[in-house]
Amino acid sequence: MPWLLGMIFGVFVGATPGLTATMAVALIVPISFYLEPNAGLALIIGVSFTAIFAGDIPATYLRIPGTPASAAATLDGNEMAKQGRGGLALVIDLICSCLGGLIGVGILMLIARPLARLALHFSDFEYFWLGVLGLSLSALVSRGSTLRGLIAAALGILISTVGMDVVSGVPRYTWGSFELLEGLNFIPVMIGLFGFAEVLRNVTASREMAAPANQAQQAGTTRTAIRQIWKHKWLVLRSAVLGTGIGALPGAGADIAAWGAYGLAKVTSRAPDKLGTGSYEGVIAPTSANNGAVAGAWIPALVFGIPGDAVTAIVLGAMMMYNITPGPRLFEAGTQVQAIFLIALITQFLLLPAGLLGIRAFDWILRLPRRLVLTAVMVFSVVGSFAIRNSVFDVYVMFAFGLIGFFLEAKKVPLAPVILGLILGDLIEKKLRAGLISSSGDLTPLFTRPICAALVGLLVVALVIVPAVRWLRTRQRVATPSDG
Amino acid sequence: MFQQGLWKQFAAGLVVAVTALGGGCGQQGPYPNRAITLICPWAVGGGTDRVSRFWADALQQELGQPVTVVNRTGGSGAVGHSAGAHARPDGYTLTTITFELCTMHRMGIPAAPTFDDYRCLLQINADPAALIVRDDAPWKTLDEFLAAVRDGPTKLKMSGTATGGAWDLARAGLLQAADLPTDSVIWVPTEGAAPSLHELLGGHIDVVCCSIPEAAQNLEGDALRALAVMSDERLEEFPDVPTAREAGVDWVAVGWRGLAVPKETPEEIAALLEKTCRSIAESDEYRNFMRKQRFGVKIRTSDDFTAFLREQDAQWQSVVQSAGYARE
Repeated sequence: MPWLLGMIFGVFVGATPGLTATMAVALIVPISFYLEPNAGLALIIGVSFTAIFAGDIPATYLRIPGTPASAAATLDGNEMAKQGRGGLALVIDLICSCLGGLIGVGILMLIARPLARLALHFSDFEYFWLGVLGLSLSALVSRGSTLRGLIAAALGILISTVGMDVVSGVPRYTWGSFELLEGLNFIPVMIGLFGFAEVLRNVTASREMAAPANQAQQAGTTRTAIRQIWKHKWLVLRSAVLGTGIGALPGAGADIAAWGAYGLAKVTSRAPDKLGTGSYEGVIAPTSANNGAVAGAWIPALVFGIPGDAVTAIVLGAMMMYNITPGPRLFEAGTQVQAIFLIALITQFLLLPAGLLGIRAFDWILRLPRRLVLTAVMVFSVVGSFAIRNSVFDVYVMFAFGLIGFFLEAKKVPLAPVILGLILGDLIEKKLRAGLISSSGDLTPLFTRPICAALVGLLVVALVIVPAVRWLRTRQRVATPSDG
Repeated sequence: MFQQGLWKQFAAGLVVAVTALGGGCGQQGPYPNRAITLICPWAVGGGTDRVSRFWADALQQELGQPVTVVNRTGGSGAVGHSAGAHARPDGYTLTTITFELCTMHRMGIPAAPTFDDYRCLLQINADPAALIVRDDAPWKTLDEFLAAVRDGPTKLKMSGTATGGAWDLARAGLLQAADLPTDSVIWVPTEGAAPSLHELLGGHIDVVCCSIPEAAQNLEGDALRALAVMSDERLEEFPDVPTAREAGVDWVAVGWRGLAVPKETPEEIAALLEKTCRSIAESDEYRNFMRKQRFGVKIRTSDDFTAFLREQDAQWQSVVQSAGYARE
């Protein structure tokens, strides 16, 4: 049963902030060579899916995302934990991860090739609009004042410009430090903004924060979880499909998929104001999407032999060690691909026990007195920031952003748009400039390329039509204007 | 109960860890008597990381001490190369050095180390750059492609990596060797070979310049083909792909990897490591590993390797300058 053991390993690596799914897979690959090919692949695939789910555990309990793809879980998941419903949030999260994975693998099995062909049409300008769409959704993602949301997003974009510029090869805002050449790594930034800032907030709060009620699984948790998921079944489907599609693009991954699904949930929700306050929808959408994206990343890998992300790149390397050549021929040959699909499907079911074990294992942290929990957050923050590239510099970055995050929250500036700005700002800028280099400065393809035009249309729908319809509806419903 | 037990376990673990650490430091004996670090200047999962992990395993078996890979990424390789060059020269820190060691110190990276900061042990790999096009591309040879660059109605689009990255320099050198200005094609920056090949398949760019192993899986299929490879001689695995030299363009661009220790490492330790590395490089396990990963094996021993790096440094200096990337 190396498979299940591997998945438990995936849970722990994924749940440790700073140790990403990529690292989990890279660490397990040498071990997998001692197994026969299918067992080895099972081990690797198992680790990749579990690590993505497990990242949500500390994000929910401690507000420190375990992997980049879990940043969205620090919103509603963590809010639910604060309300004493963390166990429920994670059970929902776990089940939706399995469902997202299942849907993703289903798409992979059925329409990998057409989807891969569609993904080929994505070039720089399409990515640009995708990024703009994501960033605009962030304005919706943030609660409260739009101005503060914009400030947060702008700050994120500003941070994303630090480092060696890929387009021109010129270092920017690095002040002669080569640690800054690669830019500010967004994991320490994220850990600082969310985790360390939370510690500061608690320490400086005049009275001890009310300890969350017993987070452990209460009777009926699973039933409530299933009922809520059933109620939001279309959201699960939408998010997983979106996630798989984004995962299939080599330029975007599980992190962007999770945010995209969160934004989509906000646009399509009947009660958009509830997102961010610990709503079920806010938990369900990102987690369905990020596991879908893990499956999606396999699409270009299997159809073209081009890895969709770092994890599939490692797996392709491992497959070659087993004398399996990934790419079009593998897809046509059949049996090996069938085995991979089967493994990926069974993995989703094994994720349930492995994930529950992970949730239980982290549960005890929350039964500790608050001050010990804060200590644990500190330890995780420092270790996680260091671990991402073995650099003490990143620990300083984490501390600095902890202070920034603390300050921003004190001024009621939301933190999620900062992270979105950081992830998407980089994508938007690079792709726009690369696209303009490619078109020799011509702006027309930005609107006339078919997918671009479609994305612009979506943008208009999301930003103009949906709010307009909503506004009209509320006006009809409320005869006399109230304070809202 | 549970909590107490857990804390006890934790404390016990801590004691064991501290003792082990203390014990390790106090240990005496001939080199190596404690764990060795192998710095990889590139990220987990990439080619250099995979090769480094093979070497860590093999060195561990040969030297009888744990060898761990530590990924020190950032600054286009500058962080890891610098950490490796400035590590304590006691033979307990090795570095997997790569191509960028010969280019980054010319490109405005502050305090970037050079090959001169290292005592080179062994070159372990070389992968030449290649020009890759879609199978339906109108050019069958390098000559036809260069003619299209020279006389074509529009500038062709190329990619493979970031602006100023290894393959951008390789194609700039190629154009230069063919007496063409380096800006006679448009270099569209991307994050690396994989996204570039995706763009190529999608028809958004015309040519990809990257190393053979990065494109191997696609070259074995029928959607893409290689026009030329920038090596001294044809490759064993792709005997049909001509070299640039055969087409009359005197240009070689090779991405390489090697193992090195800091310059001041005591000679007897460096010699021992060199001997060990050489025997690993000659093993069947190494050849098999590299063949399966599609990496080229090129072994140069210490003196040859250093001489090769000196040549490389000079070759790339002229390309970096003429392509306009030089920043001192």
